Amino acid sequence: MTRSRNFAGYAEVAIILIAFALLWFAPLVVGDYWQQLGFRTLIYLTLAEGWNLMAGSAGLVSLGTSCFVGLGAYVAFGLLNGMGFPLPLTLGASAAAGAALAVLVSPALFRLRGLYFTVGTLALAELLRLIMVNVSAFGGASGIFLQNDPPALPVLFHYALGVALVASLAITACTRTRASVIFRAVRDDEDAAAQMGVRPFRVKLAAFAIASALAGMAGAVQGVKLGAIEPYGMFGLQWSIDTLTMVIIGGVGLRLGPLVGAVFLIALGEILADYPAAHIAIAGVILIVLIRFAPRGAVGFFGSMEQARRGRAAA
Amino acid sequence: MPDVTVASSTIASGVLLGGMLGLTALGLSIILGVMRLVNLAHGEFLLVGAYCGLFLVQLSGVDPLIGLPVVAIIVAGLAIPLYRLLLQPLANRGAEAQMMTMFAVSIILQNAFVLFFSADTRSIPERFAATPLTVGPVTVPLMYLIGFAISVAAILAVHWLVSRTGFGRDLRASAADPAAATTLGVDVRRVQMLTFALGAACAGVGGVLIGAGFQFGPSSGASYLLNSLAIVVLGGLGNVLGTLVGGVVLGALQSLGGLTLGDGYRDVVGMALFLAVLAFRPGGVLGGARG
Repeated sequence: MTRSRNFAGYAEVAIILIAFALLWFAPLVVGDYWQQLGFRTLIYLTLAEGWNLMAGSAGLVSLGTSCFVGLGAYVAFGLLNGMGFPLPLTLGASAAAGAALAVLVSPALFRLRGLYFTVGTLALAELLRLIMVNVSAFGGASGIFLQNDPPALPVLFHYALGVALVASLAITACTRTRASVIFRAVRDDEDAAAQMGVRPFRVKLAAFAIASALAGMAGAVQGVKLGAIEPYGMFGLQWSIDTLTMVIIGGVGLRLGPLVGAVFLIALGEILADYPAAHIAIAGVILIVLIRFAPRGAVGFFGSMEQARRGRAAA
Repeated sequence: MPDVTVASSTIASGVLLGGMLGLTALGLSIILGVMRLVNLAHGEFLLVGAYCGLFLVQLSGVDPLIGLPVVAIIVAGLAIPLYRLLLQPLANRGAEAQMMTMFAVSIILQNAFVLFFSADTRSIPERFAATPLTVGPVTVPLMYLIGFAISVAAILAVHWLVSRTGFGRDLRASAADPAAATTLGVDVRRVQMLTFALGAACAGVGGVLIGAGFQFGPSSGASYLLNSLAIVVLGGLGNVLGTLVGGVVLGALQSLGGLTLGDGYRDVVGMALFLAVLAFRPGGVLGGARG
């Protein structure tokens, strides 16, 4: 059992490394349009991987992704503009800031179970956005410009690729090692897990902090690409809606869920590019239908269809 | 610090607005208590009420305050099919599934508002909104006081309904222990449906009151939802009268925050208070029926 799990884990790491290595050369092959699309998909994948870890492994449903995306971008701009940090170090600092905020607010958000975490994250995102809007030191409602020019698109693509790679490997580490058992135990029955000597608070906090660090990094790269950030965009509820939608579409708790969801949502956005409002409403309808009829998302749905087909073939 | 007249009038306005929002928060609170559902579309229910009030005035010329029962019925009538079609099938699937569904409903409604009513900010025309009421150093629009009074009356009516009637007994039983209530012959699904409709009606009526005194737009819902949640945790879950007190306290503190720090900080105070209460007094500052 242990050996086969280890083997599957190594195989997963190998697949991820090969896929990302191949993608590294994408800017040599494809034009600006596909690089832009790829950049967005990688940022979304990073956010969705973190959200999936929280919801799928620790049962935490967050509406606060935007909070950490915005925080990451603002921290990055502060360090780049104010202290001339190099970009890779800045990304690390944005990740650390995300994780630190998660730890800081966890006593409030984990105090009551389940639902309060969700509304607490929503309130936290709103609080941070309002603070950025009102405090002129943070640029106020008009935001901050990056003093130096942002890097070229291929470079940004490589940064997004790096961030998504960190996300993918972190999630593999959480789901392929002994940690995955502990995560699942807490998700399925917090009290039983506590009886067995697991500390639910720490486990949930770990998932929340990892997801927040990933969102912080993603926000930093996104902000640098934009070259100018303002609170309504960087702290917009849209980040949280999209992240949640991706994972529910792909399949909560499934390894491929975030990837499928990210590709689907980006493709949907492209198809409906002329009707941005319709894109959001359609995402809402898809959410309702999937929650009702395919709670394990597209990957889960097609997976069980495949199983049923095989079952029939065997019989 | 501005002079006494401005300060006292601002705080009085805050208290009255808080009381008006208390009715909406009460709707959120009873849905949360009975269905274990944080209705993330509650802010949009409020806006449905506000838009209904607006169009009722524009189409019929009836005073929006007289149209309140009509709005309550319309919003409750909208909530019942939502419950039957979307929420009831998810009843055994945990709290998250229903909450996510209502979240999806909220984003769909937001888009529908923009599509049908445009992104403009509006206000329900109401003759009392422009009439000033002066008591000593305090001057507020008469509408605020009328809205507050109607809200208090509605909250007391709901309190009576919950604590004194047969439906209220079923409601309390379903909130305390749905399984035991079912065993004792309570039709918990029906109670949940009616509770959802009642909660939505509270939001709708609150929407008319707030829409007549203040401005609203298609995306105002999230802010009202979060402030209502702050009121619910301040007043304590399941505490009907606590919700009214919570609303007044939140309104007063928001006005104080706005006065001392600047107007943009009104909502900052609300959110910070909400998170602080969650962190330090999760059972509600006033002590709730449940912790």
